Amino acid sequence: MHIPDGYLSPSTCAVAAGAMTPVWLSAGRRVRKVVTNRYAPLTALAAAYCFCVMMFNVPVPDGTTAHAVGAVLVAVLLGPWAAVVAVSVALAIQTLFFGDGGVLAYGANALNMAFVMPFVGYGVYIAIARRAPLTSRRRAIAAGIGGYVGLNAAAMAAAVEFGIQPVLFHTADGTPLYAPFHLSQTLPTMALAHLTVAGTVEFALTMGVVAYLQRANLPLLRINHPATSSGAARELPSTRWRGRTAVLVLGVGAFLTPLGLLAHGSAFGEDAGPWHHSLFNGYGFGHDAHPAVGYIVSALVGMAVIAGVAFAVVSLISRVRSPVR
Amino acid sequence: MTTPHWLIEPETRLGPCECCGRRSKADLVEKTIAGAGRVLRAAMFSADLADEDGFLQRVDARVKAASVLALLVVAALVRHVSVLVGLYASILLVASVSRIPVRQLVRRVWLLVPLFTGVVVLPAALSVITPGHVVVPLGTWFGTPVGFTAQGLTAAALIVMRAATSISLVVLLTITTPWPRLLAALRALFVPRAFVLVLALAYRYLFHLLGSVTEMYEARKARAPRDHDVAHGRAFVAATAGATFGKAHALSEEVYLAMVARGYQGQATATDRGPLRPVDLFVFGTVVAAALVAIGVDHVVAH
Repeated sequence: MHIPDGYLSPSTCAVAAGAMTPVWLSAGRRVRKVVTNRYAPLTALAAAYCFCVMMFNVPVPDGTTAHAVGAVLVAVLLGPWAAVVAVSVALAIQTLFFGDGGVLAYGANALNMAFVMPFVGYGVYIAIARRAPLTSRRRAIAAGIGGYVGLNAAAMAAAVEFGIQPVLFHTADGTPLYAPFHLSQTLPTMALAHLTVAGTVEFALTMGVVAYLQRANLPLLRINHPATSSGAARELPSTRWRGRTAVLVLGVGAFLTPLGLLAHGSAFGEDAGPWHHSLFNGYGFGHDAHPAVGYIVSALVGMAVIAGVAFAVVSLISRVRSPVR
Repeated sequence: MTTPHWLIEPETRLGPCECCGRRSKADLVEKTIAGAGRVLRAAMFSADLADEDGFLQRVDARVKAASVLALLVVAALVRHVSVLVGLYASILLVASVSRIPVRQLVRRVWLLVPLFTGVVVLPAALSVITPGHVVVPLGTWFGTPVGFTAQGLTAAALIVMRAATSISLVVLLTITTPWPRLLAALRALFVPRAFVLVLALAYRYLFHLLGSVTEMYEARKARAPRDHDVAHGRAFVAATAGATFGKAHALSEEVYLAMVARGYQGQATATDRGPLRPVDLFVFGTVVAAALVAIGVDHVVAH
């Protein structure tokens, strides 16, 4: 996924480097605040480690081997901001010393692998692992899934960077000046390669290392998880967290509801039949004078009614179940 | 002292010779050991060339870094293959007067370019991806005439030449400049001090960690029979990576204590090489002039 020079236009590279500048500044400040003067040796060794991880050949089922990036692994072990610094430095060494990845494209490579990958992967890891004990299998699997999702997010970012080149930069006769493939070609190609082989390798390595440290060296996992319990006692997520998750899921659903405003045609198999005297007939009112407003009001009223009914049912059930005081 | 030749040559394979018989896929242990060896070889190769007494080796590292950056931007901006070919030829010319084995430089760059660029870009020359004037017809697929288009082939040549020129520029910079000087040059190019410090430390301990990894793999190779089980292989790689993280973390603490013992208080000072010599300014002026000429020629060819 290391983009060499020549694939991206100088302006794309400048935008990517510009986007990374506040991230680098913030990462430097945060890491220094946590580990004070230790930041230099700690992040340097993390970067050297990251470089080594990129050299590990992980076997894939067809008998060959592939490399992992390891950005999510470093994010799980040391936190996402430390991962930004470590992966950026590892990429700089690869670029300057081994010609792996371009100098001008450094900002874009860092954006994909040192920012998108650790943050997306770490977010997924936190969302799945939550308060599971440090030694739980769930935490190791969460790290693996984080690695898989993080790598694919980075690949998608790279695919978008490639895919916008022929549209934005071409000569009068249509000759592409930089990467020649369009978004419709880069997105499926990168997705196929990373969803199958590369993602699996990242999953295996990230999960494997966390599982190994759970067995062999728990204090190392504790660096980034100082408050997490390591015991076997199973902690259930608190009611507050469950409530938040429910609100989040419902919120995403509600946000996607107005998609009906954008879609063409009519809903399949939803002919209302002969009855046309409902409150919001055809998800509207006033004989469809304001269809968009009518649609949104119908959605809000519908959600409120369903929430009210659900609340009534749940409180009825809990009243029946709770012991008499 | 230069590195002995036998040390930077790739290791001869023991056992069945590569030239005959069936060659099985190298397993993950051998591949990782070979990869670590390649990194060390590349480092020694550059360190040796940087010590030679050639033209580029004598130029100030700051001037070289700024020149390479300027030429990279030029290579990214020009729109004609002929200008890029001219730029590439002048790079090879400068390399040959700097006692750099040009054949090795060309081989190193063109081994990287077809792998990453050529194979990926060639399908883009097809009319399916880059529509235009078909110059090499390849028959019809599913009723649609398909072939290489002029626009597609130009785009492919452009991207391959641009990648080759850019990689050559960076390789030339790194093999003619000792690493500490290159770091000081980065500092002069406004790269933050903290980043340069971390980069220097990371490069130093990278070889230490690679050594540990190689030892672990060699120990495994010496003790265990060849194992084709994917699950075992993955477990071994994960355990090695986990153990390496433990070593890296312990080492970072030791390095920190060693730094504190030598008076480190959170600030590092880079060695300053003093003002630029007139020769260095002349070289930089020439590079800037060449860059402007390249852009000018590119404009002239366009009209």
